[in-house]
Amino acid sequence: MTSGIIYDPSYLMHEQSPTHPERRERLSYTLDQLEEEGIFDIPEIKLIRPKPARRDDVLLVHSLEYLKFLEESSINGGIIDADTYVPKNLIHDALLAAGGAICAADAVVNQQVKNAFVLSRPPGHHAGRSNGAGFCYLNNIAIMTRYLQRRGLRRIMIVDWDAHHGNGTEEIFYDDPTVLFCSVHQYPFYPGSGRIEDIGIREGKGYNINLPIPAGSSDKVYRYLLEELIIPLAEEYMPDLIAISAGQDNHFSDPLTGLALTAQGYARLMQEICIIADSICYGRIIAVLEGGYSVEGGLPYTNLGLIAAMAGMDISNIREPEGYQKLLLQSVSEDAFPKVVKMVADLKEKLTSHWYFLNRSY
Amino acid sequence: MFTGLDIGGTNTDIAIIDSEIKTHKIPNTSGLSTALKKAGSSGRLVVSTSQPLNEILTGPQFNIRTITIPGPGLVYSGAIKGAVSHRGDIIEPIDTEEVKSLFKGPHPYAVAISGKFSVRNNSLEEQVCDVVSEYLDPEQIAVSSHIGALNFPARIKTTQINARIKPKVNALNNLIREVNADFFYVTSTGGLTSPDRALQNPSLLYHSSPATVANGAYYLTRNENCLVLDIGGTTTELIPIAHGKPIFEDVIIDGFKTLIKSVKTVSIPYGGDSCIRETLCPFRAGNARSFGGGEPTLTDALNVSGARIGDDDRSHVIDKKIADNIVEQYLITVSSAVKKFKPGIIIGTGYLAHYLLSEISERAKTTGIVPEHAGSANAVGAAVSRISILGYFHVDTEKKRMTMNGKEYPYYATSDDEELLAHAKNIIRDVARADGAPEEDVEDVMIQFFSSYEVVRGWKVAAKITDILLSIAPGISVEAA
Ligand SMILES: [Zn+2]
Repeated sequence: MTSGIIYDPSYLMHEQSPTHPERRERLSYTLDQLEEEGIFDIPEIKLIRPKPARRDDVLLVHSLEYLKFLEESSINGGIIDADTYVPKNLIHDALLAAGGAICAADAVVNQQVKNAFVLSRPPGHHAGRSNGAGFCYLNNIAIMTRYLQRRGLRRIMIVDWDAHHGNGTEEIFYDDPTVLFCSVHQYPFYPGSGRIEDIGIREGKGYNINLPIPAGSSDKVYRYLLEELIIPLAEEYMPDLIAISAGQDNHFSDPLTGLALTAQGYARLMQEICIIADSICYGRIIAVLEGGYSVEGGLPYTNLGLIAAMAGMDISNIREPEGYQKLLLQSVSEDAFPKVVKMVADLKEKLTSHWYFLNRSY
Repeated sequence: MFTGLDIGGTNTDIAIIDSEIKTHKIPNTSGLSTALKKAGSSGRLVVSTSQPLNEILTGPQFNIRTITIPGPGLVYSGAIKGAVSHRGDIIEPIDTEEVKSLFKGPHPYAVAISGKFSVRNNSLEEQVCDVVSEYLDPEQIAVSSHIGALNFPARIKTTQINARIKPKVNALNNLIREVNADFFYVTSTGGLTSPDRALQNPSLLYHSSPATVANGAYYLTRNENCLVLDIGGTTTELIPIAHGKPIFEDVIIDGFKTLIKSVKTVSIPYGGDSCIRETLCPFRAGNARSFGGGEPTLTDALNVSGARIGDDDRSHVIDKKIADNIVEQYLITVSSAVKKFKPGIIIGTGYLAHYLLSEISERAKTTGIVPEHAGSANAVGAAVSRISILGYFHVDTEKKRMTMNGKEYPYYATSDDEELLAHAKNIIRDVARADGAPEEDVEDVMIQFFSSYEVVRGWKVAAKITDILLSIAPGISVEAA
């Protein structure tokens, strides 16, 4: 079955200010790479045009006051925080990004495609119920998750691998056992949250899992987290769909973060998640673009690698060119791995009463 | 004076346009040199070559070696080391020894070299080409950057086609130059290209006849909206024209998308040379009997039914009733295909148009026109077409780099979109002028695509990147009009 790419040239329109790093060439260059690779001629790939989200879709997640604030500041512009302005007409771009995620949900649920990648802007995972933050306005993946549940899916697992903690998504589902939120992020780092202690409250306790990792964490760290926690969690939780907050700002060439994942590491991560999704939820995966600012470096072929993995294509040539090897060596820290092993052990202890697999003696 | 020469399956058509139009038909058996001599050496000569090139593409396979420089991304065969980034930077050099090692064994017929993002920087392709030149002649090596469009797999396929037909185009160039140095080819979109550019991207010449016929039919009738019905030796082509232009589509070869654009046609596998064996057959087994062949064909059936085409006495080997049935079968097939287009008017071209068009238009309930010189509309179209060019520009203000189809041009410092666009238009005009286009034909430069944005690093604008696709569109030359 095919993979969907949700994209529209309007996703290039949003601009906070002329020098803001969350900008259109994040997507233009990826689109250049996809076009150069002939991706849209491949029968396994289906290009889907998004439609804007409706107000009642947004209100499944956000408060009416906040939505009104965005609508009103979209008329003359406004400010949310030091890095997040509300440019004029923002609400159109924000609704189209959330709408892209909803179109992906429909395409997967209606079995038009097996999985989908939403190549949208602006991103969403820092946006909470009633506030925007960190370049985000509407929480696209959260809106999509509620929409999927309205369409009959019960449990959704969200894997947020963006370099920054998905604090908005965490807040929205913190007390909800029907959504297993699992975030891997650089720590300490913006936005400051994402400690292992924060495992959810009330019925949602045990369903919020933070995996903070130090700067310099490489492919090896991500693979370890996948094998030790993410895959066992998925197997026990048995979600109806795996949603991925796909931030490609962990790539070692990203100028805003300090992580050291390679394009190949990303593609393998996606491939593994595809395998687990095939075995537990009919392969249903929706990846929604979050961060990723290495527009001059690895972002285009990293995004390509993710799409290739989702479409079941050969990813062996998703690699780093010779010219980037030095930067890669400088970015990887050997100290990171032992720290992560310790962190995982501590986290497992906090989760033992919530997950059976942590109590197995073999 | 404008001369057009169309090398068809059976004959070569020549049209010489001065104060009046003169046409000639030379059988291919007398050789291309004879036809070239007949075309003469005064004025501009335009050659439409689709037939000989199509023959190569449908003929036996040659040993073409494909070398790709994919860098990071999907898997491609023939890959060697090296990478150009999406911004046109070299992020991995090639390994000369690796390229040399490919030529240790027997040498291939030709080599196709394609690098990812080579249309933004062609230097890795050129470096590989330099190494390969130690083993093969220039006409045996094709590089992809001249194709001038993104889509690496389609560029690889198109470069393989180029490698396959480049020796033939080179030979044609030499042969024609001996007779007339001021000559052009018609491309698959009906524009003209210089012999040098044709050698860089020979696929431009692929399947040029529908575009040539369309230009000819338009020139002879000035009908902006019509259906051209070209009745040839082996096929009958239906070519819809809207607003004076045919419709273009991507060419698929052996199931692979290429970067060749060609005129969309509906092809019916019957023409004047289709042979008669019990019924009308969708293939050719030699000339019509009235042109010295052995087996009767549709042309002979027309003669038996009352026409006088060629040596019509030789046609009378079939029964009148059978001949009428054969003609009827053809008319039904073609007119039902014509009906689907609901054309307001059909224009008949090709040498049988005079004999068949009125019956076809009557059955399709529309009006038919067969202009004078309809039998050589292809050669007329070639003669009157104008130079057309497609240029893909990539401009980077930080690297101070400007390329057209991967080739570096002097950098032009401006951050103003309009100024840059005007400059790019002038470059493409200069290329067209250098090829011999008259001033009036280069005035209209079409913007096919324009995209420009700033690169931001550390909250500062570090560069401005602009991609522009410009074209001087195909059509009728102002001089001929
Ligand atoms: Zn991020």
